[in-house]
Amino acid sequence: MKGWHGRLLNIDLTTGRSWPEALSADLLQNYLGGRGLGVRLLRDFYQLDPFDPEMPLVFAVGPLCGTAAPTAARLSVVSRSPLTGTIYDCSAGGRFAWRLKAAGFDALKIVGRSSAPVALGITPQGGEFLPADQLWGRRITETVQALETKGSVAAIGPAGENRVLYANIMMGEGNSVGRGGLGAVMGAKNLKALVVDGQLKTSIVDQQRFTEARQDVIRLFKASPVIYGDLGIANYGTPALVDLMAQRRMAPTENFRKTVFADADQYSGPAIRKAFQPKNHGCYGCPIQCKKSLQDGTPLPEYETVNHFGALNGINDLRSIVNSNNLCNQLGMDTISAAASISAWGEARGRFPRAEEIGALLQEIAARQGDGDQLAEGAKRLTQKLGKPQLSMSVKGLELPAYDPRGAYGMALAYATSNRGGCHLRAYPISHEILRKPVATDRFDFAGKARIVKIAEDCNASIDSLVACKFSFFGASLEEYAELLSAATGVEYSPQALKTIGERIYLTERYYNQQLGFSCQDDLLPERFFTEAGSSGDGIEVPPIDRSRFEAELQKYYRIRGLDSQGRFIQADFLEQQP
Amino acid sequence: MIRQIEKYADKLYADGSALPGRTALLAQDDCLLTWGAEELFSLGRAIIERLNVVSLVLAQPALPFMELLLQRVAEAETQLVPLDTETRTFLHDIPLVRKSDFSHADPQHLVELLGQRKGILVEGVGILATGSVTVEQAYINYSSVYHAVYVKTLFDLLCAAPPSETELQLLQPLWAQLEQPIASRVADLYQGELAEKSQILAAMQQAGLRTVELKLVDSFFGNLSCGQGDQLYISQTGASLDDLAGCIDLVPNDNSSTAGITASSELIAHRAILAETGAATILHGHPKFSVILSLLCDETACGITDCWKDCAKVRYLGPVPVVAGEVGAGGIAKKVPPVIAQQGIAVVYGHGVFAIGQQDYRQPLEAMIALENWCREEYLRRLKLRCPQMNLQETL
Repeated sequence: MKGWHGRLLNIDLTTGRSWPEALSADLLQNYLGGRGLGVRLLRDFYQLDPFDPEMPLVFAVGPLCGTAAPTAARLSVVSRSPLTGTIYDCSAGGRFAWRLKAAGFDALKIVGRSSAPVALGITPQGGEFLPADQLWGRRITETVQALETKGSVAAIGPAGENRVLYANIMMGEGNSVGRGGLGAVMGAKNLKALVVDGQLKTSIVDQQRFTEARQDVIRLFKASPVIYGDLGIANYGTPALVDLMAQRRMAPTENFRKTVFADADQYSGPAIRKAFQPKNHGCYGCPIQCKKSLQDGTPLPEYETVNHFGALNGINDLRSIVNSNNLCNQLGMDTISAAASISAWGEARGRFPRAEEIGALLQEIAARQGDGDQLAEGAKRLTQKLGKPQLSMSVKGLELPAYDPRGAYGMALAYATSNRGGCHLRAYPISHEILRKPVATDRFDFAGKARIVKIAEDCNASIDSLVACKFSFFGASLEEYAELLSAATGVEYSPQALKTIGERIYLTERYYNQQLGFSCQDDLLPERFFTEAGSSGDGIEVPPIDRSRFEAELQKYYRIRGLDSQGRFIQADFLEQQP
Repeated sequence: MIRQIEKYADKLYADGSALPGRTALLAQDDCLLTWGAEELFSLGRAIIERLNVVSLVLAQPALPFMELLLQRVAEAETQLVPLDTETRTFLHDIPLVRKSDFSHADPQHLVELLGQRKGILVEGVGILATGSVTVEQAYINYSSVYHAVYVKTLFDLLCAAPPSETELQLLQPLWAQLEQPIASRVADLYQGELAEKSQILAAMQQAGLRTVELKLVDSFFGNLSCGQGDQLYISQTGASLDDLAGCIDLVPNDNSSTAGITASSELIAHRAILAETGAATILHGHPKFSVILSLLCDETACGITDCWKDCAKVRYLGPVPVVAGEVGAGGIAKKVPPVIAQQGIAVVYGHGVFAIGQQDYRQPLEAMIALENWCREEYLRRLKLRCPQMNLQETL
């Protein structure tokens, strides 16, 4: 087998055992790796409570990881989210994924609960259980420093230990498994960290074909203004989007009461460059290097983070935002959900926190102390407790990121249909509605968006299973990645075949969610977006979303997906028919 | 979606790339929509329903390039490798299917190929192209394949086997087109310094539309910019040159805002050209005969194989310089600025033309028209030299 190793490492934290297991070529070819493989491995477990010791936490790389395929040194972590209750996957870069592949495994499947804090050492020989009592309670950098001599580290911080429902798993280089609270699942297992090491190579079937496909990808990156343009993410990181979202009047502000923040230029890409003269870094082997950091290596915030610790809370202090980002990274928390929960709390009590109050709040959240204990539950549970559920700007309990749906109707639909809740990355309509890639669509029109969202969901499910970075697809397409995959594995894949695999993965996730009690009632946006206008101006009208048009497009989506009018599966035996 | 289909059907006919009566567009929303030649519907339906796409164009090219191409390539050949760099970058190779390799009743072979590539060439049908997001995308992919076939076919007539009398006859409609030079219709465009924002935007829209009307570009590809003090107006990436309203970004030269991240991928080149030359305006397009002639090179032993990006020499089309360079962050921004001031115009190998103006768009558009007309004449001159036994004038 080329591309894959065909091996999974099982780890039982309860018994302290680890053992390898063969993964069949059939399984890997049908689910690829990453998200797809993880979702498939959860088939017999998805109905367990996220904090049930037997709920697996799967770390899965893809067939392109370990090769020179651009942006493919990534993995997906898959389990059930304690925040949303849905099946959940989250992708991350860094070096960890590449090291895991070099250790000879396509996936780790971790079950059980250790009786005491533990860290796992993963090498080609298997798993080693390392006492972690001394690490428990420590922040991310301290934890990484304590373990990094053994390899690449993925760890939780205090937030994960205390089961903050949006706790992250942090990679040693600052990348995060950053949404949905999988860090809390890891904390519930008493698993503080994993450290992986290995030197095994991922072999490729056809090196010449692979090299040519890689050259095609790089050429397309160069032709993409979003990637390598003067104003693109390689130069400014994702905060390059701050100015654009402000101009398009769709930057969520003050818990989505407004869509323009007058001081957004204080934390824009150029403002960050001027203030910090950041250096470039990025995931292992990535040619884009979109991450920006201080000269000492401290990661600088992404677009979502600057907006949510900025506009969403009415804060214009760049250093406060950078500090909030750093604190979340150190405590092991999702910046989007943390900032959105604080924002909802601010609106509920009639005052958004001042910049100087945020740091203490974040520490309280991670420690589940004071107001932080409620905030640690996420915006949905928090606002329900406060008797103001309408103030939770979330879908399926996942707080919305920094693209106001009143400014992009495909995004509105995609938030609703996302299997993991309010996420922009499942279908990523911002790509065509705002960034004009691969072609532009009318952001204020629902026409055609149902099928576009469906196709993009399928594509992205396969991309998350390769595992490649979505940013690659501002330039390249599945055409070039299918070529890379075929060259690497010797199995012929076409873009159409990858979309079919993506569709299988997407429907499997939706089926799991349906069995867990999710219905069309959960494919909904917060009421605010249908009743309140955004911030119109500069010739751009941002009206409330037309509910009837939204619902009609949602019905179209269900029909295109082969679901009934309630968004349910028509075939009761759907799962049995899948490989 | 019906509006989209009608819009792009009109464009296919207006740009002269598709044969009326032999063209169909199909699009899927929650139901299938069809437009055009009914005899293509069943084939189109059988294809689109098996693909995870939004749209499909099936069209016979208006000029008989398919026939020529199929006659000229070996029977065993299964793909066309585009010579023009734009198509090669975005579409790679283009599968070529013979009649004997598929049936209309079961076009699974075509489905599989369209599952791999954005556009394919099919004997007896023409060009098939898909879009996974919009109808426009299928139109763009169709146009790209058409451009590639056009360039490849005409280049081969000059550089591969000389054309037969039959081939020359087949291309009679093209020779008739070339007999009429492109009219220098610029006198009604904005004249003089462009100072006000509204004036700049209007002038850019006017120039973009005229470039398309004069068929200096296939479909609507190209971009244009206008410098104003310490900032630059530039068309957005993927914007239609004939529909620029709302699709022009204002980009400060000091990068104090990144809102122009949606600007054309050639922003880097535009900035470099303006900085080097002090020009006020730039127009960029892909006129076909300028592209075809830019591929001609007398050097056969220089050792460079990827001429389009690696050739360091400046060659000339008449007095106009030709340089190599990749799109976007590739070499265009380095290679074009040093040479464009010579004549106010420069050609990028296998790609297209950049032209500059000191005040408005009259100058660059005139220069582009003049170059394309020169290239058309030069093409015919060279063709006549290749086949002295044939009288092209009689063919016309």
